[in-house]
Amino acid sequence: MNLGNVRRGVLAALMASAVVAGASAAELPIRIGAPLPLTGALSPEGVKLQQGYELWKDTVNAAGGIAVGSVKRLVEIVYYDYQSMTPKAVQLAEKLATDDKVDFMFGPFGSGASKAASTVAERYAIPMLAPTASSVEVYDQGYKNLFGTFTANDTLSEPMADIIKAKAPNVKRVAILARNDLYPLALGQEFEKSSKKRGLEVVYFEKYAINTLDHASALTEIKAAKPDWIIATGYINDLILIRKQMADLGIKAQAVTMINAPAYQEFIDATGTLAENVTTATWWHPAVRYESKDVFGSSVKYSEMFQKKFNALPDFTNATGSSVGVVLQMAIERAGSVDRDKVRETLVKGGFDTFFGPLTFNGVGQAISYVPPVIQIQGGKTVVIYPEVIKGGDLQLGVR
Amino acid sequence: MLYVQILINGILLGGLYACIAVGFSLVWGVLNVINILHGSFIVLGAYLAFFAYTGLGIHPYLFAPFAALVLFMLGYAVQLTVINRVIEAPVLVTLTTTFGLALLLDNLMLVVFAANFRKVSLKPPLGVIDLSDTFPSIDLIVPVDRLASMLFALVFVALLYWLLRHTVVGRAIVAVRMDRYAATLMGVDTTKVFAVTFALGAALAGAAGALLSPIFPISPLAGTTYLGKAFVICVLGGLGSVSGALVGGLVLGVLESFGALFFGPEHSLTLSFTVLILLLIFRPNGIMGKRGFV
Repeated sequence: MNLGNVRRGVLAALMASAVVAGASAAELPIRIGAPLPLTGALSPEGVKLQQGYELWKDTVNAAGGIAVGSVKRLVEIVYYDYQSMTPKAVQLAEKLATDDKVDFMFGPFGSGASKAASTVAERYAIPMLAPTASSVEVYDQGYKNLFGTFTANDTLSEPMADIIKAKAPNVKRVAILARNDLYPLALGQEFEKSSKKRGLEVVYFEKYAINTLDHASALTEIKAAKPDWIIATGYINDLILIRKQMADLGIKAQAVTMINAPAYQEFIDATGTLAENVTTATWWHPAVRYESKDVFGSSVKYSEMFQKKFNALPDFTNATGSSVGVVLQMAIERAGSVDRDKVRETLVKGGFDTFFGPLTFNGVGQAISYVPPVIQIQGGKTVVIYPEVIKGGDLQLGVR
Repeated sequence: MLYVQILINGILLGGLYACIAVGFSLVWGVLNVINILHGSFIVLGAYLAFFAYTGLGIHPYLFAPFAALVLFMLGYAVQLTVINRVIEAPVLVTLTTTFGLALLLDNLMLVVFAANFRKVSLKPPLGVIDLSDTFPSIDLIVPVDRLASMLFALVFVALLYWLLRHTVVGRAIVAVRMDRYAATLMGVDTTKVFAVTFALGAALAGAAGALLSPIFPISPLAGTTYLGKAFVICVLGGLGSVSGALVGGLVLGVLESFGALFFGPEHSLTLSFTVLILLLIFRPNGIMGKRGFV
């Protein structure tokens, strides 16, 4: 999928919706503001989210739009590129609220930017659905307009630590290398807690700076600490480099966990055989099996529709992009109105059965209602190893 | 043993840094142009190597001279058509020009190659030299691809050195570096020398990109990181000399490696920048800084 195709897709979708809109010009579309990192370091993720949004929007509009009481209203998404710069995301959220006067907003990418932009949403009382904010720190400001579809970071570290404890009793020593950034660092700290809770010894815990081009020193120290389980957090470029340099230094371990990247096909393509047996956790995977009452019908159907449109299997970032759309749609339909207060009330009540999983939010707006799957790369493919009901294989030990 | 391993890591990294910086240093030193395009040229070289490997099966090390050739031609064209028009202008103008061109090239690569991160995964991988296999008491390890990339980079640097010392074009470049007006009076066609120098800088960037493609992830916007390193190395080592880029690169590599060990990985840059600031205060020409190239 390249940007050119995305642009063409967006254009085609816009033209299509314009035609449909012409037919029922009486009702104005529901406008949703979406600041995204379409260029810059986070652009791969930004493009993935946009694909998720677009699939939801096109599916809804093809069905005539969102049912608001007795009328159907089309969806229009107003995109801005914040170039992977958080301050710009905040400015653009402000512009969406005051200048474009959108009805609702989707959050920018990642915990840090979501927390920053949620301040704008709160000030203008616009419900903001955050697709990729998992750190609990994002939700600690007591805001009433922020709703995130990712469960907290400890829902990734806890099951992983459980599996390691159960399947790899020889694992005693843990090394953690975390990117010094809101979400990756918070996640690293959760892994530290989860490890200690199970009596594992954390022999190394260090942070690395954003844009680090070399991890050899940290990894040399990790090697000297002789860990059985190595955990690295960061984004895709960091983790490709770390995995490569682990091999450069001849580091072997019983288990290697990397979050967030191995769930993406790009990671497997870029690391080749080094990806083998790397474990990761993620909030969604094409293997999950949820029946839903949303516009997609089920996770399986969602994957099919995504594949038809983009010629690739959806990953969790694509899926969470669509998930914020379906939750907003269900909330509007239940409220029977686009009145922000009424929609906010239905969001607070929760109980949305979506293809992404059952979604209900806690008191501060973070999803608490589903179990994120644990994944391992086996034979160049992502295989779900937890939870039991959807697993496609068991944990394999040994990363070399 | 830990310190020796860190030193090895640092020297290998430093060799790669030198290979990133040498073309940048040449252009800055001779043309007095701070070429912001340099990082993007490296990325372009890496992409060419990536597609040559995945599409045609040509090994990046074999492909490096071709990447250099392609970038040489591109660099020559850019200098002749754009930069020569503003070469006499103050340094800020050429800096802004190359900055604009870098934005253009970066976004062009973003559209053509997409934002995905890629990497050349050599099949089979080159592996490592594990000294503990032969000498059980010596627990040291050297990654072969880094070593090979560094050695090939040194070959390119040596070629540049030879070219500057022993060819007519090379002597002309050095002459222009020393005094561009005197060189003109001696019959040197400075316009052509500028174009060749810039093209050589681009060629070295292209070769560096190809050599780094099995080591670092490739993405359209990685250029700024390389550019930042090239900057620091030039100031550390001294501007516009082959030996300066080499020494600067090695010093930075070793400093970052020990910085990460002593102060934690998140502060590895702190140490190198502290040294940089001290050098700027006490030895502004850099470690090897002197007038005259080579």
